[in-house]
Amino acid sequence: MSLQKKISILGAGQAGAYAASEIRKYDKESQITIFSEESYLPYERPPLSKECIIGKKNFEELSFFSKSFYEVENINIKYQAVEKVNFEKKILITNDNQNHNYDSLLIATGSKNRQLSYDKENQDIKDNILYLRNIEDCKKIKKIIESHNKFAIIGGGFIGLEIASSISQLDKTAHIIEMGPQVMGRIIPSQIASMVSKHHENRGNSIFVNSNILSIKKIDREYQIELNNNKKILVDFIIAGIGSFANVDLFENTSLKLDNGIVTDEFCRTSEKDVFAAGDVSNFYHPFYNSRMRLESYQHAQNHGIAAARNILGQNIPYNTIPWMWSNQFDLNIQLIGICNDFDQEVQRGDSFEEGIIYIYLKNKKIMGACGIGIAGKVGRDIKLAGKISENEVEIDKKQLLNREVKLNKLLKK
Amino acid sequence: MSENNENWLEVSDESGIEVEDIVRFDHDNKTYCVYKLEDGYYATDGFCTHEAVHLEDGLVIDDEIECPMHQGIFKIKTGEAISPPACVDLKTYPVKVDNGKIFIKI
Repeated sequence: MSLQKKISILGAGQAGAYAASEIRKYDKESQITIFSEESYLPYERPPLSKECIIGKKNFEELSFFSKSFYEVENINIKYQAVEKVNFEKKILITNDNQNHNYDSLLIATGSKNRQLSYDKENQDIKDNILYLRNIEDCKKIKKIIESHNKFAIIGGGFIGLEIASSISQLDKTAHIIEMGPQVMGRIIPSQIASMVSKHHENRGNSIFVNSNILSIKKIDREYQIELNNNKKILVDFIIAGIGSFANVDLFENTSLKLDNGIVTDEFCRTSEKDVFAAGDVSNFYHPFYNSRMRLESYQHAQNHGIAAARNILGQNIPYNTIPWMWSNQFDLNIQLIGICNDFDQEVQRGDSFEEGIIYIYLKNKKIMGACGIGIAGKVGRDIKLAGKISENEVEIDKKQLLNREVKLNKLLKK
Repeated sequence: MSENNENWLEVSDESGIEVEDIVRFDHDNKTYCVYKLEDGYYATDGFCTHEAVHLEDGLVIDDEIECPMHQGIFKIKTGEAISPPACVDLKTYPVKVDNGKIFIKI
């Protein structure tokens, strides 16, 4: 019997791919297998709503690592969906009825799109609403955008706005329908939300906030969307980006503890022995905030996957990264770090997109979070520094932040 | 001296540049970054190797530069990509200071 350890990774997204690569850095012996439901090499998803739609990037460019990387590193990718997990016997069963036993399992199944709920008589409309999650969705959306002109985007979150920005850049029009009082409502400061809305409107898109959909009717080849505020929108196609939830279907009715995702500790450990979870699917304990969170972002998926890898190898490193995320719309880059909705003071630094505008949020003289907007990359440095200052719990006087002459890296080194 | 003005290009005056500052230098349709570290000046290509983002807006801590868009990190002195998503190293270039002026050799 071989003593070679078998490490299986369920899911070939950012968390899964980076976990595999990280395990191999330290462990040249173990058998590493990634199970993928898709037929592509593990790829990054952010460009799907942006560069891929406007034709600035090909799908082939999205792979995290080349085919030869996986060959050289001896990382096996099985393009087979896993249909069942037996935690007790440590076995994965794939859709070709094969059993695959594991010693350690990393679950990185990501999240799945929330779907609009519709009555049965609207089934044909429902079937034609587009969602974006993977390359196949993107191919479909791209093709439809190319051959049509007016689109409704249901949901004014990052994905919806990014697709709307891509549509506009292709000289077509997007009408964004948002239930809440502002776009990107849950997490982004209202000042930045209104700058983004204005940026879209100045480029031909329209934004309907506080808007509920009363009905969707198909009239000839168009869809008529009736909103609660007596507005009617006529479009060629409807694209929905109304959030997502942890992809845990496989684990319903199993012994794995679920609660808005897979419950994990700061070491990415789940309730099952030798089973770890990382990325979107995990509702993890964050020691710095002393609370649980489930995040859907590029950096988190990558770093959480890396952290899980190290913990699978027994390195016992807690995951304590300050959450960070970004969105690109038109020429603007929006970044958010930490927590921006729990504060007693707000400070604005900068007042143009060219130099970047940042709102920093303080509570008890400590930075809780920051959110910025600017031309590509302009806010990156100060956003990151705000995160580091927050992490180091440096006491800050609001006046220092208001003084643009004081560079944030000087505050970090106080 | 064999190293004449043809080899070295003037980047800027040294005055006002602090440790961990970055100076962007564009030449011949290419962009470069010159960094002031504790022990002197260093230079790399100006675009991140992951995506064409100007590293001049990035964060320098000690001898590392972090890209302002996706947080890939490089060693400034060697150009080595040390943190994903960056995985291709940056090119580095010699820098010298002469008479209060910074020069780069491309």
